[in-house]
Amino acid sequence: MNEKKDSKDPFDEQIEQLTPDDLQKALQVFEQKIDHKYAAHLNSCVHCGLCADVCHYYLTYKDLQSIPAYKLSLVIGVFKKYFSFSGKAIPRWVGAKTLDKDMVKEWIDSLFGRCSLCGRCAINCSIGLNIPYLIRTARSALAAIGLVPPGLQSTVNTAIEKGNNMGIAKEDWLETVEWVEEELQDDIDDRNAVLPLDKKGAKYFYTINPREAMFFPLSIQAVGKIFHAAGESWTFSSDNYDVTNYGLYNGDDEAAGIMSDRLVRSMKELGCNTLVLAECGHGFNSNRWEAPEWLSKKYGFEVRSILEVVAGFIRDGKIKLDPAKNQDLITLHDPCNLVRLGGIVEEQRYILKHAAANFIEMIPNRQKNFCCGGGGGQLSMTRFSERRLKVGKIKSDQIQKTGAKIVASPCHNCIDQLMELNKHYKLNVQIKTVCEIAADALVI
Amino acid sequence: MPFVDFNGSKLEVNEEGFLANPSEWKKEIAEFFALKEEGIEKLSDDHWAVINYIRDYYMEKDIAPMVRKICKNTGLKLKYIYELFPSGPAKGAAKIAGLPKPDGCV
Repeated sequence: MNEKKDSKDPFDEQIEQLTPDDLQKALQVFEQKIDHKYAAHLNSCVHCGLCADVCHYYLTYKDLQSIPAYKLSLVIGVFKKYFSFSGKAIPRWVGAKTLDKDMVKEWIDSLFGRCSLCGRCAINCSIGLNIPYLIRTARSALAAIGLVPPGLQSTVNTAIEKGNNMGIAKEDWLETVEWVEEELQDDIDDRNAVLPLDKKGAKYFYTINPREAMFFPLSIQAVGKIFHAAGESWTFSSDNYDVTNYGLYNGDDEAAGIMSDRLVRSMKELGCNTLVLAECGHGFNSNRWEAPEWLSKKYGFEVRSILEVVAGFIRDGKIKLDPAKNQDLITLHDPCNLVRLGGIVEEQRYILKHAAANFIEMIPNRQKNFCCGGGGGQLSMTRFSERRLKVGKIKSDQIQKTGAKIVASPCHNCIDQLMELNKHYKLNVQIKTVCEIAADALVI
Repeated sequence: MPFVDFNGSKLEVNEEGFLANPSEWKKEIAEFFALKEEGIEKLSDDHWAVINYIRDYYMEKDIAPMVRKICKNTGLKLKYIYELFPSGPAKGAAKIAGLPKPDGCV
């Protein structure tokens, strides 16, 4: 049905116009990011091939280009050519590769277009190479010369220019908070249930994925309900509430730092105790683990996932859940950035055990789980959307095998991909955040 | 970008089926997308209320309205909007209204 247009894509034209100075700049950024440790990683791949059978791209396409070691070889080849003695002395023997327009095209197609930075290859690597980090260094080099695929770059640009990644105006955010508060009060028939804004000295500073405020506010209402039931002091910021950070995906550390610093600033201005990150995988990984590196400073406060906080409320008896209120069979998707790369593994299970009568794990799960296909910025890069849906078949099959009616996903990015898989593969399931399920089970 | 066959003529869309040139939008395209994307055979008055509001808002502000504004201005309940457009406000309603894909996790 579809046919391609003859005229050139502006992004492809941009590649054609690359100058030697641009390529030099890309190499400089690449070099800056490779310290001795990562130079050792780049010199160590033994091409054992163990990574092939664990990558959702290879399992789908079964071609050379989809093997993680092959994708990494594109980065290694450039590293050897410019930054190793052997690459300069005997380039062909060591697979040294020139960074030219063709290589840039291959980097974009492979490192943006065939990788969701899920890290499944890294935990299965026979010598423990940090493959997603190494692939991200090449993305950083491309970001330095403006060659990040459009949807991903525009999401970073919108966040930098507008303060959040969907370009929500301040008055619209405030109006939405007020509206969700009214809905919450009606829902539980309690005028004391509030969504506080800029409350100084609150214990918890809560953040959201802007997608929630823009299109799916029920997840905000759910968390508001839980905080209210726990009787805890918490707040939103009227300015800095965006947990996302697509700088993790486009490789632009400076932009990533600007975004994360907003949360740090608001935390300090309001004097809150704990920065609480919404159910957003990459937002958790960025703000829990990566941001101190981007900002070159330590946080002076606690950082927790909302899942850790809610699990704590249950453990401490601050909220009570009745699993009988959720009777449908529920399964759980493990977002790569939250679980494999983020270390939040059991909290979501602990919450669901208390909130749902019938729970089933998908296989494999926890750190071994498959990416939904939407990570690494894939959801925003329209040009690779056909691949995204194809590789998502693995996740779709996992879900189908459980027979579950509801898929809990503690990540809004994964939720959007799962919604597409639900439609495309006719799964006929509902997709919810963990807190939505917990809020439905609350005994108030 | 690819084309789709629209009543015998070519319509340019992006790789995810969003209208490439939002200015080309017309009611027949909304009906075409509604069937193709959401399986809606006939758009109801409530569907049109949402689509027209999103369209007008976009023409004025160059961005999709938040779901709060959609509810407030159409008088429809949030849960009903999700029922009207199962793919949600962005990939359902806004797509049918001819808007480009928004930035962010959508």
